[in-house]
Amino acid sequence: MFRTLLRSTPVRQALGLVAVAGLVNLLTLGLAYLQIRDGIEDTLHANLAQNMAGFRIAATPAAIAALVRAEAEVADPAARVFVYIWPNGRTTGNAEARLDPDGLSILPRPGGRPLSAAGYLPQVERIAGGVLIVAESRAPLAELSRTFLRLLIFSLAPTVLISLGAGVLLARRSARRVARIEATLDQLGAGDLSARLPVPDREDDDFARIGRGVNRMAAAQESSVAALRQVSADIAHDLRTPMQRIAVLLSDLRERLPPDAPETAIAARARDEAERAVAVFRALLQIAQIEGGNTRARFAPVDLAALARTFAELYDPTAEEAGHRLLPDLPDTPVMVLGDRTLLGQALANLIENALRHTAPGPITISVGTDAGTATLTVRDTGPGIPPDERDKVLRRLYRLERSRTTPGHGLGLSLVAAIAELHSAELALDDAEPGLRVSLRLPLYST
Amino acid sequence: MKLLLVEDDQTTADYILQGLREEGHVVDHLTNGRAALGQATTGDYEVLILDRMLPGLDGLSLLRALRAARVTVPVLFLTAMDGVDDRIEGLQAGADDYLVKPFAFGELSARVAALARRPQMQAEETVLTAGDLRMDLIRRRVTRAGQEIDLLPREFALLEHLLRRKGRVQTRTMLLEAVWDISFDPQTNVVETHISRLRAKVDKPFDRELIRTVRGAGYRIED
Repeated sequence: MFRTLLRSTPVRQALGLVAVAGLVNLLTLGLAYLQIRDGIEDTLHANLAQNMAGFRIAATPAAIAALVRAEAEVADPAARVFVYIWPNGRTTGNAEARLDPDGLSILPRPGGRPLSAAGYLPQVERIAGGVLIVAESRAPLAELSRTFLRLLIFSLAPTVLISLGAGVLLARRSARRVARIEATLDQLGAGDLSARLPVPDREDDDFARIGRGVNRMAAAQESSVAALRQVSADIAHDLRTPMQRIAVLLSDLRERLPPDAPETAIAARARDEAERAVAVFRALLQIAQIEGGNTRARFAPVDLAALARTFAELYDPTAEEAGHRLLPDLPDTPVMVLGDRTLLGQALANLIENALRHTAPGPITISVGTDAGTATLTVRDTGPGIPPDERDKVLRRLYRLERSRTTPGHGLGLSLVAAIAELHSAELALDDAEPGLRVSLRLPLYST
Repeated sequence: MKLLLVEDDQTTADYILQGLREEGHVVDHLTNGRAALGQATTGDYEVLILDRMLPGLDGLSLLRALRAARVTVPVLFLTAMDGVDDRIEGLQAGADDYLVKPFAFGELSARVAALARRPQMQAEETVLTAGDLRMDLIRRRVTRAGQEIDLLPREFALLEHLLRRKGRVQTRTMLLEAVWDISFDPQTNVVETHISRLRAKVDKPFDRELIRTVRGAGYRIED
């Protein structure tokens, strides 16, 4: 959670802003502090100089001591210290002081009042053989530091907290919108071109603009795909009729030629080619029609096991003649699903024909099974299969047409199966049967 | 046989008319649906062949109107659309059979013949014969020249279907519909292999061929 928040752009921006605000705050306060501190120090120095000047008029140690004593009477040593060290080392004043080679030290007088904890700013002068020490407490400076520290805390903490909070809020809001955009893009990427992003009309920020852009792109894509499908369906429709007439005429021609004339074989070959073309057109049209999807209204309960048994039986002699073996593995009890019997049968027929046509003689297993509310229809061969990286592609919309032209063996038959699976909201899977191809169609069981 | 063809496309109409007339049928031809409604109710036709798309009154409405007027003559419906939906719509409107355009003439001819003779089919028969072939429907036994022939259930059903329509051509799609209940035409010649298996048992051991192939159309069993 925290890590994802940190990764989001608004939170990073908020943190950046907090850093900048803090830095500016720190800089201003720092400069102000220095300025005021200098002022206070100047005042302290001026006070010292003034106090010192008053003592310079005295000429003897006794006179100075008297002046010091008088000042010390009224001065609080916590604020200001006056000490005179006599030439004989005796001290007079409101504190004790010692002058060592390594510096001056001010100590409280025994039984006297306490000294300032903040330390002192001293001035030392030799007067009349003794040493006069006047020191101002540093308390105002310490007080200043404390004040500025409080200022810093009181101004910086709210800035940081408020900008951080606002950043997180913005981040979550934008994260949700980004997630919606991502979800829509994923849907579009997965092939659902009808996916759209909800964008209210009154919104006009950058997210709304991106959202509208995504929607425009998806709509353009959708309409061009629809147009492409329509065009291919139209072409197939317009070409199928004349092509089928050609096939019929060629068939007639073949009938009228003498059976052993070389022309007869040519006519037969031409008719076969024409019929192949008709079959392709028919498959294309049927895919277009299934993708249109209005056949769903006519769905009825279908016994998948019985259907598979019918087709296994129908294809059995053909398979045997081609050297294959059809092995039905079907339950005796009905396996009911909701669907179109003709289309499901056609899907099964296409799978069986694919296996018959494009694999070397071997066993072909047709099985129907049930598992947790789903029925699975499987056709398995022992042929070369489809390489893993091609499997998804042969089922992908539009791609498959391109693919089926270059992949011998899994042509429009498999595309039609994919369209039928989609109509039934069935899951179509191609896997490696090691060896061979296993095509399975999973659809929900029908319960009354 | 007296037939009425209602078809507005001249190429298709010529193709059908020529074929049917060559077979010796009397065929009236109309191009307008509204005109056909009157003609079909008054004329004494054995089979009507209706196109789905017609000027005036389309084929579906014409068919519904005919059935509403209690005209029970068998109707073969022609359509350029081969969707399952269209097929069902046509059958629901009262068509007896359905053919997708364009088609081989043999298919049309076989279906017209099947429709015309349908009412005379006898359901009571318990023994079907063709030449020296005998099928006992109750005991489910088949013999030829007194010799027992062992058939698989589907082979039995196929032979029974042909025997019940003795002398009439049955196309591959008609057989698929009747014997397997499959209403599309698979690419592989599945029906041919079933027929050849049946022949291997019924015809091959004997001197005369009963199951005949009708080129470009289908199969027929003869006495």
